Amino acid sequence: MQAGSSGVGYGLKYQARCISDVKADTDHTSFLAGTLSLREENEVHLIRLSADGTELICEGLFSHPNEIWDLRSCPFDQRIFTTVYSTGESYGAAVWQIPELYGQLNSPQLERVALLDAHVSKIKCVLWWPSGRNDKLVSIDEENLFLWSLDSSKKAAQVQSKESAGTMHYLSGGAWDPHDVNSIAATCESSVQFWDLRTMTKTSSIDVSHVRTIDYDTKKDHILVTAEDETGIHIWDLRKTKVPIRELPGHTHWTWAVACNPEYDGLILSGGTDSAVNLWLAPTGSRDEITSDSGQNSLSLKVDPLVNSYTDYEDSVYGLAWSSREPWIFASLSYDGRVVVESVKPYLSRK
Amino acid sequence: MAIEDAPLDDKAKRMRDLLSSFYAPDPSVAGGSLPKGASLDAINTDSFDADQYMNLLVQRANLEGLLQKHVEMAAEIKNLDTDLQMLVYENYNKFISATDAIKRMKSNIVGMEANMEQLLDKIMSVQSRSDGVNNSLFGKREHIEKLHRTRNLLRKVQLFFCGKEQFIYDLPARLGKCIKAEAYADAVRFYTGAMPIFKAYGESSFQDCKRASEEAVMTITKNLQGKLFSDSESIQTRAEAAVLLKQLDFPVDGLKVRLFEKLEQSLGGLQVKIGDVADALEESNDEQENDLQLGFAVAHDASVHEFVETVRAYRVIFPDSESQLIKLSEDLITKHFLITEQHMKKRVSTATFLRVLRIIWDDVLLIDHVLPEALLHDYCFKVSQSAIKQYVSSMFSHLLDDVSGAMMKVHPQQNNVAEEQLQVALEAGKNSLLKGSMDLLLGFRQLLEDNLDLLVKLRELITDWVQAGFQQFFEALDTRFLLLSGRIKSSPQDQSLSEGLQSEKISSGLVLVLAQLCVFVEQTAIPRITEARTVPVSCVIFTAASGTVTEIVAFICSTLQHKEPREVHMFVDLFLQELEAVGSEVKQILSQGVRKHRRSESNGSTTSSLSNSLRDDKLRRSNTQRARSQLLETHLAKLFKQKVEIFTKVEFTRESVVTTIIKLGLKSLQEFVRLQTLNRSGFQQIQLDIQFLRTPLKELAEDEAAIDFLLDEVIVGASDRCLDPTPLEPPILDKLIHAKTAETKEQNSSVASPTSQ
Repeated sequence: MQAGSSGVGYGLKYQARCISDVKADTDHTSFLAGTLSLREENEVHLIRLSADGTELICEGLFSHPNEIWDLRSCPFDQRIFTTVYSTGESYGAAVWQIPELYGQLNSPQLERVALLDAHVSKIKCVLWWPSGRNDKLVSIDEENLFLWSLDSSKKAAQVQSKESAGTMHYLSGGAWDPHDVNSIAATCESSVQFWDLRTMTKTSSIDVSHVRTIDYDTKKDHILVTAEDETGIHIWDLRKTKVPIRELPGHTHWTWAVACNPEYDGLILSGGTDSAVNLWLAPTGSRDEITSDSGQNSLSLKVDPLVNSYTDYEDSVYGLAWSSREPWIFASLSYDGRVVVESVKPYLSRK
Repeated sequence: MAIEDAPLDDKAKRMRDLLSSFYAPDPSVAGGSLPKGASLDAINTDSFDADQYMNLLVQRANLEGLLQKHVEMAAEIKNLDTDLQMLVYENYNKFISATDAIKRMKSNIVGMEANMEQLLDKIMSVQSRSDGVNNSLFGKREHIEKLHRTRNLLRKVQLFFCGKEQFIYDLPARLGKCIKAEAYADAVRFYTGAMPIFKAYGESSFQDCKRASEEAVMTITKNLQGKLFSDSESIQTRAEAAVLLKQLDFPVDGLKVRLFEKLEQSLGGLQVKIGDVADALEESNDEQENDLQLGFAVAHDASVHEFVETVRAYRVIFPDSESQLIKLSEDLITKHFLITEQHMKKRVSTATFLRVLRIIWDDVLLIDHVLPEALLHDYCFKVSQSAIKQYVSSMFSHLLDDVSGAMMKVHPQQNNVAEEQLQVALEAGKNSLLKGSMDLLLGFRQLLEDNLDLLVKLRELITDWVQAGFQQFFEALDTRFLLLSGRIKSSPQDQSLSEGLQSEKISSGLVLVLAQLCVFVEQTAIPRITEARTVPVSCVIFTAASGTVTEIVAFICSTLQHKEPREVHMFVDLFLQELEAVGSEVKQILSQGVRKHRRSESNGSTTSSLSNSLRDDKLRRSNTQRARSQLLETHLAKLFKQKVEIFTKVEFTRESVVTTIIKLGLKSLQEFVRLQTLNRSGFQQIQLDIQFLRTPLKELAEDEAAIDFLLDEVIVGASDRCLDPTPLEPPILDKLIHAKTAETKEQNSSVASPTSQ
C-alpha cells in the first residue's frame, strides 16, 4: 500500500479500530495494532518504525482468537498487552504476552497471562496503571468498574474491588488520571464521571453528551480533553467543570478519537469519521493567566488552533497514538486497516 | 663564576671574551664534521676532532707551515694556561674575602639585639613624657579658647549695642504703631529682625521688651488669620497674610487643610450640579425643556468658575500645593466621567453624551487655564478614552439586547410556531438589527464629526473602537444565536437567558429563523454597515437541525429486529418525514431573495467535475446492478472508485442544506452500523431500508453521487458487521419496496399532507 505524502504507511489485512504505542519499548518506536474482522482470523501486529523513520516493519504477527475492540500496551513490559474482544455475541477481555520470538514461527500463538472474566455485560476498555510498574488494572464494562490486581507469575488476575455505575448509565470508555492515580474518568452517554479508586465512589461528573474518547493532559494537572460526536473537542479544567475552558471545532462529521501529546503542551490530535486527522495547538495556559489576563486570552483564542489536517485517509480514523519515545511522531489507524505514521515536526518548527 | 665587578680592566675583558668564545656554541659549524670541507678553523667548534684535524693539517700544509703552526699553537696554549691560572687565582681571592665578610657580619650581629631593645625603651619613655605634657596643658588650653570666644562675642555685642540698642527697646511701641496702621508687613519685618537677639538674650537683658513685642505679634497673627479666612478680602491680601503668617512661624498646615476642605466642599457641590445637568439632559429631550437645561448649564458654569477662582487663590496662597490641587482636579474629572458612565447604563442618546462630554471638556479647559501643571488635558484624554469606549460597547450591547429580544419573543409560544409568526419574528429581527445599527452609526458619526478638541484628538481611536465593537457585536450575536438554538453550553452569566431554554427542546423553527437572520447578517447587513470582517456563521446551526435526524438514525440501529424483515422499518418513515419537515422549513426561509441571488452559484457547485464522473459510474452500475448478492463487487467497486468528497462546505441554499443533513445522517448511520454486530435478519433489514431510502433521498438531495456512495457504504458496513451476510433476494426486495411505496402514496393522498404546502 502506498504511503501518503509525508507519512509512512503500513497495511493490516483487515479492518481495524485500535492502535497502541508500546511505551515500554525504549529502544524502538513501536506500535501494536489489532484487527477487527468478524469472520476472518484476527491478528495483532507489532509494528516498528525503522531507525531512519522511513519504513514500518512488521516485528511480529500474532493470531488473536477474536475481533479486537480495544488494545492497550502495558506501560512497563513491552511484551504484555491487553485486549477487549468480541465473539459476535459475547465479550471478553484478557492480558496477553508476546512469546519469545525465534524468527521461524510465522504466526505464533499469544500466551494468555490472565483472563479478566468477571464481567457480565459488554466490556468497553481496559486501562493500565498510568505509569511505572504496578500490577493494577481497571476494566470498564457497560455497567461496572473493576479494579484488578494482576499476578503475572501465577498467570491470574484477581478482582480487588468492583462497583456498579448504576443502571441508568451505560459506560462507554475511560481514562486513568496520570496525575492522581486514584482517579479514573469514565464516559457514559450524557456525562463524564470521575471515580475514586480507593473508595470506589463517584466523586464528580461533567455534563457532556456523546463523548467518544477522553484523554488527560499528561503534562498539566487538571486538564481533560473530550471528543464528542458532533460538537467537536472540549478542553476542561477539572476544577471548574461547568464550562469548558476551550472548544475546538473538531471534524466535519463525528470526532472519534483524541490524544494529547505526551511532551508538547497543548498539542492535541483528533481523528474523525470524516476520514481526517487534525492536529490542534490549543495551549490552555496556566490558571493565573486565564483569570488575570483574560484580555490576552481572548486574543489568543482568535488564533486558529488548527495546525494541520491530514486528509489522506480512505476511511474513518478510529485509532490514534502518540509515540512516547519520539513524541513528535504519531500513528493513526483508519478503519480500512491502514496504519500511517506521521511526524508533526514540520508544523512545530513554525511556532 | 663570573662575578661582575665595576672596573673591567683589559685583561679581564679579554679573558671574558675568550671564555665566552670558548663556551659559546658557534652556530656556523653546527653542521658537524664535514670530512673534507671542514677547514682548519674548526678548532674552536664543538665538533672538533683532534685526529682529523691533525690529518688535515699534515695533508695540507708544508713543513714550514706546520712549524709555524706549531709555534703559534704553543704560544696560544701558553697564553691560555696563564689566563686560566689567573682566573683561578682571582676567584680564590674573592672566596677568601667573602668568607671574611661573613665572619665579620656574624660577630657584629651578636650585639645588635641588645642595642635595639635599649632603643625601644628609650622611645617608649619619650612618648609617655610627651603624653604627660599634653595632658597637663589640655585643661588650660580649653580655658584659653573659651576666653577667646567670649572676647570676640563681647566685641560683637558692643558693636551691636551701639546701633541697635535703641531699636530693641523701641520694638514693642513700634509694633503697636504698625498694628494700628495695619502695616503688618513692616511689623513682621521688625519682629523677625529682632528675633535673633531675643533668642540669644531674651532670658536676661531684654525680658520685658520681649514679652511686650510677643504680645504685639500675637495680635498681629490673630488679625492676619482673620484676614486669611475672610472671603471679602482680595486674593492678594489673603495671599500676603498667608505669607506673613508663614514668616511668623505660625503653623500654616492647619490653615491649609481647612482651606482645602473648603475647596473640596465646593467640589462636592459642583459634582451634584453635574449630576443634575446629566439628569436634566437625559430627561429633557424635548425642546421645551431646553430652557431648563440652559439653566442648569448656567448654574454649572457659575460653580465651575467659582471653583476655578478658589483654586487660583489657593495656588497663590500656597504655592507648593500643586500636587494636591492636581489630584483634586483629577478627582473632579474622574467623578464627572463616573457620573457619565452611570448614566450610560441607561440608554443615552449620542447628543446627550456629546453635550455631557462638552461640559466636561469646558471644565477641563477652565481648570487647565489655572493649573497648567496638572496636564489635565492628558488626564482627561485618558479617562475619556475609557468612557467613550464604554459608551460604544454599551451601545452595542443595547443593540444586541434588542435583536435577541426580538428573537426571544418567538420563543414563548415555541410549540408549533406558525410560519407567519416566524416570518414576523424574522422581519422584526431584521428591522431591529438594521435600524439599530444605522442609528448606532448615525450616533457615531455625530461623535466623529463634532469638533470638540477632545473628540478630534480621539477620532482615530473612536473609529477603531467602533469597528472592533461591530466585530464583537457580530460575534456576540453569533454566540447568542447559538445559545438560543441550544447548541453550546451557556456560560454562567448567560444562565438567566438560557434557563428557559435548556429544559425544553428547541423548536426547529426558531433555529431556522436564527439561521436566516445569520444569512441576512452575512449577506446584507455587513456590507451595508461597515467593512467589518465576515462573521463566521457556523454551520453548527444546521447540525442542530440535523440533530433530530441523527437521533432517529440511532433509533434505527438500536432497534434492529432480529426477525425476518417483513416491511420497511417504521423509523425509516420517521427519518423521511423529518427530512421533509426540515426541507420545507428551510425552503421557507431560503427561498426568498437569497435563492435568486445564489441560484447560479449553487447550480455550478452541484455539477462539479468529480460528481459528473461519478454519475456515469453510477448509471452504469444501476443498469447492471440488482446482483446484490455479489457483495464482493461493492468492495471492489469501492477500491477503484475515487474518494468521494462527502463533506463539502455548506452553502445557504435549500438544496445544499438538505443535502448536507442527509449526508450527515447517512454517515452517522454508517458509523452506528459499524458498532453493531448483526445477524442475518438485521443485515437484511438494513439492506431493505437502504434500498427503500435510495429513491426519496435522491429526490431530496442534489449530490446524488455522494448519497449513492454513502448508502452503499452503509450496506457494506452492515455486511462487514454481519455474521451471516446473506442478502435478500432481489425479487423479495422489490416486492417489499413496492408495497411500501404504495402504502405511502395512499397515505399521502388521503391526508393532504400539511408539510408540503
